[in-house]
Amino acid sequence: MTANGLAISAKGLTKQYGKLVAVDHVDLSVPHGTIFGLLGPNGAGKTTIIKLLTGLSDITEGTATVAGYDVRRDPMHVKQRVGWVAAEVILDDDLSGWENLWLQAKLQDLTDWKERANQLLRYFELTDRRKDKVGAYSTGMRKKMEIALALLHQPEVIFMDEPTIGLDANVRRMLWELITGVNRQFGVTVLLTSHYIEEADYLCDHVAIIDRGKFVATGTPSELKSRVREDYIELETSEGVTSAKLEAVLGVTNVRQQGSAWVLRVTSAEEVLPRLFQALRTDGIRRINVEKPSLESVFIDITGKKIDQAGSDVQDYRKFYVNMRRARR
Amino acid sequence: MSAATQTAMLPATIVQRPDGRVGQLSQFYGLYTRELVRTFRNPFVIVITLVQPFMWLAFFGGIFSTLPTSELDSFLLHAPPGTGYVAFLLPGVLSTGMLSIGMFGAMSTIQDKRFGFMKRILITPTSKATVYLSKALGSATRGLVQIPVMVAAALAFGVDLRGSPLGWAAAIVGLVLLGFGFSALFLAITAGSTDWQTPGVVANFITMPLMFASGAMFPTTIYPGWMKAIAEVNPVGYSADLARSVITYGQFTGSCVTDLGVLALFAALMMGIGTVLASKYLKVE
Repeated sequence: MTANGLAISAKGLTKQYGKLVAVDHVDLSVPHGTIFGLLGPNGAGKTTIIKLLTGLSDITEGTATVAGYDVRRDPMHVKQRVGWVAAEVILDDDLSGWENLWLQAKLQDLTDWKERANQLLRYFELTDRRKDKVGAYSTGMRKKMEIALALLHQPEVIFMDEPTIGLDANVRRMLWELITGVNRQFGVTVLLTSHYIEEADYLCDHVAIIDRGKFVATGTPSELKSRVREDYIELETSEGVTSAKLEAVLGVTNVRQQGSAWVLRVTSAEEVLPRLFQALRTDGIRRINVEKPSLESVFIDITGKKIDQAGSDVQDYRKFYVNMRRARR
Repeated sequence: MSAATQTAMLPATIVQRPDGRVGQLSQFYGLYTRELVRTFRNPFVIVITLVQPFMWLAFFGGIFSTLPTSELDSFLLHAPPGTGYVAFLLPGVLSTGMLSIGMFGAMSTIQDKRFGFMKRILITPTSKATVYLSKALGSATRGLVQIPVMVAAALAFGVDLRGSPLGWAAAIVGLVLLGFGFSALFLAITAGSTDWQTPGVVANFITMPLMFASGAMFPTTIYPGWMKAIAEVNPVGYSADLARSVITYGQFTGSCVTDLGVLALFAALMMGIGTVLASKYLKVE
């Protein structure tokens, strides 16, 4: 535990590859025992930040302290205190679960690791399969195994790079429970990257929204969401309505027509809806949709674009996954 | 946007074969082209492919180009005493076998980089030098497997193996040093690579000249001057000489100690240079 209570802190962290500035003067402070999320589209610099903080990649400029040690001056001490969960699940498929744990123990230079390894296997419900080659595990089991490896040496900080990418909804849910469980039960600080809004919203105590190597906003999910105060109401009516009629409703700040529907920006949906129903009682409302501020709308608000076409992305990653596993066999 | 430009943006009609059959020629052409493009995008591969035939001519042809046939005759028929060419060749083959064992270490390293396992290793308190040395020693150890196989084959050919246990131990130590040295060299050359083709190409490149420009296959007395000069500094020759003295002739002489010294120096040098290079250039992915 460090004096200032921070598990991770960075000042002016910068990484340059030739002319490309992948990470651009980022300041970061993550308190002990919290879950911190880096949210941003692909190529925003999320993975590069993990590489810099774990000493996998050299820092071009700036300073970073992880688990009380300076990453540049003392990378080996940092590495003793951090765990890592890769986006694409990296295990030695030719080795059994237990052998993977053994290798991890050797790489971390641990002596009394077997009791903890058994505990982790029990916690992740992998005890029965510990002697099987991990190549034969299901995707969910492989992910659990990877988290078990990351926890074996009792790290202070775990880095999770896109922990749920390419996983189906059930496994993703399970993993969310695991991540919060690991954070609470093992007291580990978690830094994760994601481009799933719901994930960051559900898991993280603090979020930094990153775009093109820069932090564009930081705060708790609710703080960030309160930055975008206004709600949206989308509605369709069976009778023709004029924009003037909608603008006249108290609390409506903006009216826009989108195809056959109207999109209203309102101060508060809860306050405006009753007035709106009253005003439109003869116009026959066919459909109404309320959108509250989300991290997505924060991202749109700040950068002027959507965070990602996450759907198409997932498919690519699935293919990548399948190919990786095939190539290993 | 006008109607005309919209039409222009539509994809052209796809032309399929009028008879509705599905051919294979186009697929074959596509895959064949891909093979060539991938190969020739690696300049290293092209250079080695072009140089390879000339090396055969120079190194293999060089041995026999100036040799009177009578000498070849007398060597093949009469030397070494009583045991024939297989007995002469065995120590040489064991030594040249150590040349390319680094290839497997290099391939497993490239696999680790490609599948991200190198990241898993290097995110723990493990230095690049440690990764490098463990791979080099792993390769050298794997190379030892061929020794019992080759010896069994030689026995099957009726070769009389004479060495004392101490002599055999010295010969094996020599082979381990040679194998470790070449594995270290191999892994240092391929430390920065992530291309599957590289280890094979490097293997070809170092194996052939060093195999022939040594006393492994033929006695160096029949070599032209320039090849003798290479053989003087070629560690393969020292390992072959050492193993030959012990295994074929049953003598552990002063020159065997020199051979061991040269091999130890070679292994240490390669390990030193390789560790420095790998610490700097070993790629994470």
